[in-house]
Amino acid sequence: MLRVSTQVTGTAVDLGAINDAERAALDLPLGGELVRFAEAVAYRDADALTRTRKALLDAGGAQVLVDAAGVAANFQRMVRIADATGIPVDNMSSDLSAEIRSRLSLDQFASARNTPGALS
Amino acid sequence: MAAFDYQRASIPIRSDLPAAHRRYWDRLAKPGTWWTGVERVAIARESRNAVTCAFCAARRVALSPYAFAGEHEHAHALPTRVVDAVHRIVTDQARITRAWVSDNAANGLSNEAYVELAGIVVAVLSIDEFHRALGLELEPLPEPIPGEPSGYRPTHLAHDIGFVPTIPPEGAVGPEADLWPGGRTANVLRALTLVPDALRDWRHLSAAQYLSFDEMRNFEQSRDRSLNRMQIELVAARVSAINECFY
Repeated sequence: MLRVSTQVTGTAVDLGAINDAERAALDLPLGGELVRFAEAVAYRDADALTRTRKALLDAGGAQVLVDAAGVAANFQRMVRIADATGIPVDNMSSDLSAEIRSRLSLDQFASARNTPGALS
Repeated sequence: MAAFDYQRASIPIRSDLPAAHRRYWDRLAKPGTWWTGVERVAIARESRNAVTCAFCAARRVALSPYAFAGEHEHAHALPTRVVDAVHRIVTDQARITRAWVSDNAANGLSNEAYVELAGIVVAVLSIDEFHRALGLELEPLPEPIPGEPSGYRPTHLAHDIGFVPTIPPEGAVGPEADLWPGGRTANVLRALTLVPDALRDWRHLSAAQYLSFDEMRNFEQSRDRSLNRMQIELVAARVSAINECFY
C-alpha cells in the first residue's frame, strides 16, 4: 500500500524507509518519528514508547499521535490474522509484489511458507 | 462511567475510536458463534496474560515452538489447548502451521472455534495496543452476558486458501452479502469468514483505527485523518515488518 500511494501521489519514497528511520525522515514529513514510534509499539518497549510518543507529539501534534497509535495497533492485529489463518499473498505474480518482496527480503520470514512459490 | 472514557487522556482522541472500542466490548461480552460470553471474556483475559507470559517469552526464542515444553501463565479458566492457541497468536504467530491448526481441530478446538478465538484475541490485542501506545490504562474487561452461542456456519465455504475454510469471493451472498462490497475481496478479508461476525468486528475496528473500506481506496489524504496515506502505510509497514509478516 505504501508503494501504491507513492505512485498515485507521484512521491519518491524509498521502500528502505520502512526499515530505516533516518531514510524515512528524508522521504516523508515526520517519517523518522513515525518509524521510531511504530517500532516502539511493535516491540512493546515501554522506555522507547515514552520517548518516541513525546517526540511524535512534539513534532506532529496530538491528532498525528492518535492516528499513528491507531494504525500501529491495527497492524498488530492484521499480521496476526494473516499468520493465524495462514492466508497466502493475493498477487504473487505481479512485478510490484516481486519488487517489494525482494527489496525488503520478505521471503526470509517464516510465514512466507504459507504462500505457494514464495520460498522457491 | 462508560467504558473507554478517553476524556481522562492527556490529549484529545477522536470520537470514532472510543465508539468502536465500546462497540467491540459490548459484543465481546455477549455469546458469540461458538463460545459463550464467559468463554469470550476468558479468551480476552488470556490475550492479556500472553503479553507477560514467561513461557511464551522463552518459547519465542526457541528454535522450534513445537519441541518446547512448559506451562503458560494463565487464569485457569480455559482448556490448556485453548490457552496455548491464544498465547501463540499473541506471541509467536509467525510460526503457526497448518499441522498445528489441524491437530487442534482433531483434538477439540474446531476450526470454527479457532477462528472466533483468533478474532477475539486480535481485536482485544489491538485495543490494548492502542492504549499502550498512548500510555493509557487498559480498559477493564466487560462482565459476560449469559446465553448460548449461535453455532452459525456460512453455507458457502471453500478450503482453497490458508489453514481453515473461508467464504470464497463469490460466496458473500444472502446473510453474508454485507461482507465485501461489489464482490471484490482479498485473502485477508476472507481469513476470518468461517465466523462472519469476526470479519464484521474486524471491519468496525479497522475503520476507526486504520481506514474504512471506502477510504482504503483513497491513496492520498483521508478527510478524517491527520496523517496522509503514505505516512499511514509507513507505520503499517514498519509494524508488519517487525512482526515478520510476509502477507
